[in-house]
Amino acid sequence: MPSENRIKILPKAVVCEESSLRGDITFSSGCVVHPSATVIADAGPIIIGENCIIEEYATVAHRLEPGAVWDVNNILSIGTHNVFEVGCQVEAAKIGDKNVFESKCYVGPGVTVSSGCVVGAGIKIHGSQRLPENTIVYGEQGLQREAIDKQGSQTLQIDFLRKVLPNYHHLRKPNYDPKKARSVV
Amino acid sequence: MEIPDTYYSKDEYVETASGNKVSRHTVLCGSQNIILNGKVIVQSGAIIRGDLANVRTGRYCVIGKNSVIRPPYKQFSKGIAFFPMHVGEHVFVGEGAVVSAATIGSYVYIGKNAIIGRRCVLKDCCVIEDGAVLPPETTVSSYMRYTARGTIEGGQGNPYFVPAAMQDEMINYTKSFYEHFVRAPAPAS
Repeated sequence: MPSENRIKILPKAVVCEESSLRGDITFSSGCVVHPSATVIADAGPIIIGENCIIEEYATVAHRLEPGAVWDVNNILSIGTHNVFEVGCQVEAAKIGDKNVFESKCYVGPGVTVSSGCVVGAGIKIHGSQRLPENTIVYGEQGLQREAIDKQGSQTLQIDFLRKVLPNYHHLRKPNYDPKKARSVV
Repeated sequence: MEIPDTYYSKDEYVETASGNKVSRHTVLCGSQNIILNGKVIVQSGAIIRGDLANVRTGRYCVIGKNSVIRPPYKQFSKGIAFFPMHVGEHVFVGEGAVVSAATIGSYVYIGKNAIIGRRCVLKDCCVIEDGAVLPPETTVSSYMRYTARGTIEGGQGNPYFVPAAMQDEMINYTKSFYEHFVRAPAPAS
């Protein structure tokens, strides 16, 4: 397990200084990480796709199974346009695009979340399962149904937060430029 | 009923001139937009997001540990708007609550780990139980109780009624909480 954190922040990502980041984490452009958000990459690298929002006290974790070691090929690749709301705890194996994890929900390690899903507030999902596309998990018994409408876009919120957050917070500076990387090669 | 004393370390809490007791381990984003009207307790780990919109609380409020006070937002076709958030007087917010309401009246009790959705309206003297999850834009009327099962109970003859003396009870509770939230005595040297 590498001891130092390797945080890559692409341009136009907004990552607050007060977030808790551990491990090898890549934030793509357009990501917004609120203060006191937590991203833990213990089992392998985490790549967070474009235009994701991680709100405060949300935890995105890629945890080690007992007995396993850190593996550079064990990548948790999170898709684009995901929203991790306040206090959610997501340890899913795979996350696609355009999902919403609402406040204080829990998604366990064996769960695969495809695209367009919504996990409702306070829902706890354990066990190995795959959420089909456009699934909405709701209610205190964790009922599931399929959404007909598409989820609304978060682009306006990301634009607003990109304007507002730098006025009040210290941000981590973007330290990775794909164009420069290519030119160096 | 008197609340037992709760001690806090002198190094951890700051007491302001108007009597607010704020922990140093809170995250007050945009503190120039946060108005605490006096005798407010903000416990450790609480997050108040004043950077998104104005947050104003009344007197004798208690913001519990690890709770999140967050202005609500609404998405319009032309943009997104965060609304200013008003919390009334003598409001108790329990530990771990996530509050995104538009308006919270006075004498409101919000239990532990409650989730108040976006743009909810909590009228005066209502009760949100521990672990309740309020959908967005819910209105909880005065003297009503939102239970953890998702129902709104209250009224005459209902066993889950909110007492008629809710206002006096909340005044007594929050004042007692404030008066018994005392600094730990210095060790004798």
